Amino acid sequence: MTSSPLRDSYCREFLITHQNPDGGWGYHRASPSAVEATGWALTAFISSQQAPVPAQLCARARDWLLQAQRSDGSWPPFPGLPQGCWATSIASLALNLQGGAQTAVERGLHWLLNEWPAEGTLWRRLRHKLFPSRVVGQDNSLRGWNWTPGTASWVEPTAHALLFLRSLPPQMLPPQAAKRRQLAERMLFDRMCPGGGWNSGNPLVYGVAGMPRIGPTAWALLALSGHAERPEIQMSLHWLEGAYRTIHGPASLALAQRCLTAYGRRVSQVAPTLDELYSQNHFFGDVLTTAWVMLALNENGNGATPTAGETATL
Amino acid sequence: MPSFTRPASRVAIVRSGSYDRDLGALLFEALREFDLPVGGKKVLLKPNFVEPDADGIINTHPAVVGAARETFLRLGARSVQVAEGPGHERDTEGIVETIRLRDFLGPLPGLFVDLNLDEVRAVNLRTRASKLKQLYLPRTVLEADFIVSLPKLKTHHWVGATLSLKNMFGIVPGCCYGWPKNVLHWAGITPSILDINSTVRPDFAIVDGIIGMEGNGPIQGSPKPSGVLILGDDPVAVDATCARVMGLAPERIDYLAKAGALLGHLKPEKIRQLGESVASVRTPYAVLPAFSKLIAVNGK
Repeated sequence: MTSSPLRDSYCREFLITHQNPDGGWGYHRASPSAVEATGWALTAFISSQQAPVPAQLCARARDWLLQAQRSDGSWPPFPGLPQGCWATSIASLALNLQGGAQTAVERGLHWLLNEWPAEGTLWRRLRHKLFPSRVVGQDNSLRGWNWTPGTASWVEPTAHALLFLRSLPPQMLPPQAAKRRQLAERMLFDRMCPGGGWNSGNPLVYGVAGMPRIGPTAWALLALSGHAERPEIQMSLHWLEGAYRTIHGPASLALAQRCLTAYGRRVSQVAPTLDELYSQNHFFGDVLTTAWVMLALNENGNGATPTAGETATL
Repeated sequence: MPSFTRPASRVAIVRSGSYDRDLGALLFEALREFDLPVGGKKVLLKPNFVEPDADGIINTHPAVVGAARETFLRLGARSVQVAEGPGHERDTEGIVETIRLRDFLGPLPGLFVDLNLDEVRAVNLRTRASKLKQLYLPRTVLEADFIVSLPKLKTHHWVGATLSLKNMFGIVPGCCYGWPKNVLHWAGITPSILDINSTVRPDFAIVDGIIGMEGNGPIQGSPKPSGVLILGDDPVAVDATCARVMGLAPERIDYLAKAGALLGHLKPEKIRQLGESVASVRTPYAVLPAFSKLIAVNGK
């Protein structure tokens, strides 16, 4: 692994310095600990192979996540909020990579497998079959995961859940996991924008092709890496490579870099670089962006990065 | 305060054919007439930043944001922050860098706040138009003394037009509700607009209509040069005026019609028009066929 001053000096130091006393990370320095920020910061440290994992820091983060888990196995965005959300996938993924929290991971998995997006109710499916939408062109029978309970499937939370499922050993997955995963992968392919790439989840509105975006495209590609041979994947990688030079935000650049690297495309020397974007606004002191940049610069992002050659049946 | 007890609202229409003009001077002149109570206050500007769009069609133009900031500082505001929580795009820095916001505001850290990642507090909604009852809202918004909604003049493929009231969707934090904030769609867009604006009502609105968007807005429509800034002390009256400038009947835009009963004035007789007249700047906007019923005929 090559050295990276940005990763080693800034990202790592920033995250070490700004871990909250309770063990979690907020979205910004000194802001209240948030599950998503803590999950990604912990994942960034665990995946880091160029320096020893700061064991005490990671243990404190793990303990904070364990305390934040709700009795139903889910994680809310912040402790105390009344319901679980997409951050369950991220917390579960981080804890699974960290180890020593198998029960919590199993409870997170159980909640995710039983959390269905709202467009999938019998009534809604029947209505959709009888009166297909003329506004959005997508198959609502294909369901992934939602951002929050009671809402619809979207690309990013679906990709996060798939990445978590992929990180688990097969013996840990109950029988319904394979079916759920298959359905979610089909949903992602269905939501791809015509021409490749993804936006948040509306590929076609009023017959007009939606415009793909960097973040959702990178997440969807990471989640679907077991299907690298499919033309949709190749088309979307092509779109992402073409859009790479237009990126102005470090979060998008980190995700794009991590995704393209995972598919064996070398982009680290291509402008813009993460160092250049750091100089813009110092990432606004944003923990999530910093964690994603660290993951991108780690090159061998552990677990959350796709497993090459993995296949699935659609 | 119900609309029938409110005094007449004031809305000004200011002509500006381009973003290269001295918008700060134009806005300062227009805002002086309102005698706004902003001296020593923390002012929050809430633009509409949606996507990384280098062409300047989708988002509130940064020149308007910069001019508004300069104006409120000249009017004596203690501080003027700019804050937005884009609905679909997580990379807020990517948006503000694509549109070159720094060129108009200077260094952004400390000045610009990503509302999607701000600290949040639970807030009970003041109305029950939707089933939501409570939302977690950003501290930056809740602690502001004076909120200015600063949208772009655009059509919208779900609700007809997106103006200063719909723009307030951007205060709902993604860190609690995701990207998009789908909970608002499931609760109903119209009732959610009403509940959010009844709870955090903008004190002022400035709509960037120098180049608007028609057709399949708010993202994939076509640029519509309209050459106006529309501003006022009642967001409902401002939006109603915007709709009339766009050639739409505000009474037929569902959320505006309902907001006219709850949050501000819709009827022209309750709006004191300053600057240009609506008729002199009217620029009919194309809408999707699903919204053709919104088009005003003979001004109605």
